[in-house]
Amino acid sequence: MGFESIPWKLILPLVIIQFILIIVAIIDLIRVRDTNGPKWLWAIIIILGNMIGPIIYFIVGRRNE
Amino acid sequence: MNNFSVLFQKEWRENVRNFKILWIPLVFLLFGISEPLTNYYLPQILNAVGNMPEGAVFQLPEFTPEQIVMSTISQYQFIGMLLVTLGFAGIIARERKNGTATLLYVRPISYISYVYSKLFIMCILVIGSAILGLLANLYYTYILFGTVDAGAFMGFLGTYIVWLLFVISIVLFSSAAFSTGIASAVSLLLVLFVQLIDGLLGAYWTISPWKLPMYAGEILNSSVDMTLFVWSVIVTVLAIIILLVGAVYFAKRNVSKTKI
Amino acid sequence: MKTLLHMQGLTKEYGKEKAVDDVTFSLNKHTSTALIGPNGAGKTTILSVLAGLLKQTKGSIVFDGEITEDFRKGIGFLPQYPKFYSWLTALEYTEMTAKLSGVDVKIARLEAEKTLEFLGLGDAKKKKTGTFSGGMKQRLGLAQAIVHKPSLLLLDEPVSALDPIGRREILNLLKELQASTTILYSTHILNDAEEMMDQLLFLRKGKLVEQGSMREVREKYANPVYKMYFSSSEEAARFVELSPWSARQENSIAFIHIEEAKPLMNEVLRVLSDSNLSLSKVERATASLEEIFLQVVNKG
Repeated sequence: MGFESIPWKLILPLVIIQFILIIVAIIDLIRVRDTNGPKWLWAIIIILGNMIGPIIYFIVGRRNE
Repeated sequence: MNNFSVLFQKEWRENVRNFKILWIPLVFLLFGISEPLTNYYLPQILNAVGNMPEGAVFQLPEFTPEQIVMSTISQYQFIGMLLVTLGFAGIIARERKNGTATLLYVRPISYISYVYSKLFIMCILVIGSAILGLLANLYYTYILFGTVDAGAFMGFLGTYIVWLLFVISIVLFSSAAFSTGIASAVSLLLVLFVQLIDGLLGAYWTISPWKLPMYAGEILNSSVDMTLFVWSVIVTVLAIIILLVGAVYFAKRNVSKTKI
Repeated sequence: MKTLLHMQGLTKEYGKEKAVDDVTFSLNKHTSTALIGPNGAGKTTILSVLAGLLKQTKGSIVFDGEITEDFRKGIGFLPQYPKFYSWLTALEYTEMTAKLSGVDVKIARLEAEKTLEFLGLGDAKKKKTGTFSGGMKQRLGLAQAIVHKPSLLLLDEPVSALDPIGRREILNLLKELQASTTILYSTHILNDAEEMMDQLLFLRKGKLVEQGSMREVREKYANPVYKMYFSSSEEAARFVELSPWSARQENSIAFIHIEEAKPLMNEVLRVLSDSNLSLSKVERATASLEEIFLQVVNKG
């Protein structure tokens, strides 16, 4: 599949949402006092965890005050 | 009712400031969009990954638009429900545990308003996100796979909202009655585990709240048995009412368990 | 003086354990009452029942002339360790609690600002409560307790977690508040609060073992102590040796405790003249509240 044939108009929203999720998760990670497990590990999961990295962080990693 | 708006404002501020208002809709949107996309481009993706044997012809089944919407629902039914149960199991229990609720309970608040402020914020976050995600899903499905009958989609959406309300009521009840840990376990059990059981053994019965997502799909395909569907909705609505009344009862009863 | 609250035979049981056992007392309007007792004596339980957090097993409470179950509207409560929603600012929090306590929504914000100003949190009102120090939290705790001008203010160990300066400041604020409200507070730090006690209630193992005004309790428990100043510690020691009363010595001072209220001064003088000791000064000292506390809670 050539570069031009990729339907960017359709994929772009997905990329943007994914990007915002990662940013929100990282900001939250910085702000929150405690996480379940070390923060650096969560940073790796959020950034490299593909689509579900930030989601796993929000469900499992976040420790609510 | 005056209490309600004050308490709801508190819930709103909390969920804005802890970003839930942002990330919960985004997660539902993400699955709403990615599901049609990945299904449509699966052949290309497999090709690009490049581990197809030379000359192999990979025949993908042709998906109907309805099937795409339903496969999105199955994502919501797992990851979405996990998020709702674990993300909100502490909505009342945690306030009791950390003592922040104490200074609410010593005031002349109505526990109905208290529970309903929580119900309301959960509805906005969960049902709002699901609607947003499913509308995006509908749009992508329309572009890539074709149209879904608007009337059928509304029926499907309405049914799924009743199911979500049922899930929210379970979580709210558990959080009012138990500690956060137990509330998480109970909600997970009642939402995900019973759903699994219903899926495996459910052929033996036809009226059940846990069958609503399935009936929602059948409405989409216009193949639903109306009697069974209506009875399931009635049973679910009754269960929701009982759960909410129970949540108010336990929220009030467990006031003495708040940390002083 | 008018009675604001009368508690009759209040009992709170946890299974067979009695956390509060048949406690009866009254609070007069615009007075301060101290609940005094060691940890586990039932102070917090009594306050929690009054605050509506716990239900008594037995007993009744008359509040402002009415026998009632729920008078949360008329009270303000400060727990020992108040916990706030960390994501709200001090002003948002105080405004919210004011509204929930029935302050008119139109003036709630103004009332909240005034209260925070009064408690010295004016500059911090826009800060999130999660960033507050211990002293600031105590002030905010007080703010939410008084913002709706309750007729009864319940304070659970309001000063024990504070340093001496913070303690003094809070006590001064409470003294100011006493003009407009009735205060019931628990404490185990006695001397700091002495000036804030119109009534003392001594609790031990859930029972009310002594009550009365400061003066009444003092008279009942304070056996007079005489401090005799001698010119040297040897002389003081000598006096303690000769003394027929229970006596002890600290450097050049001898303390005699006379059980009966009547100090037999003649006897004292006789001992002095017989022994040729040179006394420079005599003082009658009252037992400190701390000593009374120990006597009351240890008796029976």
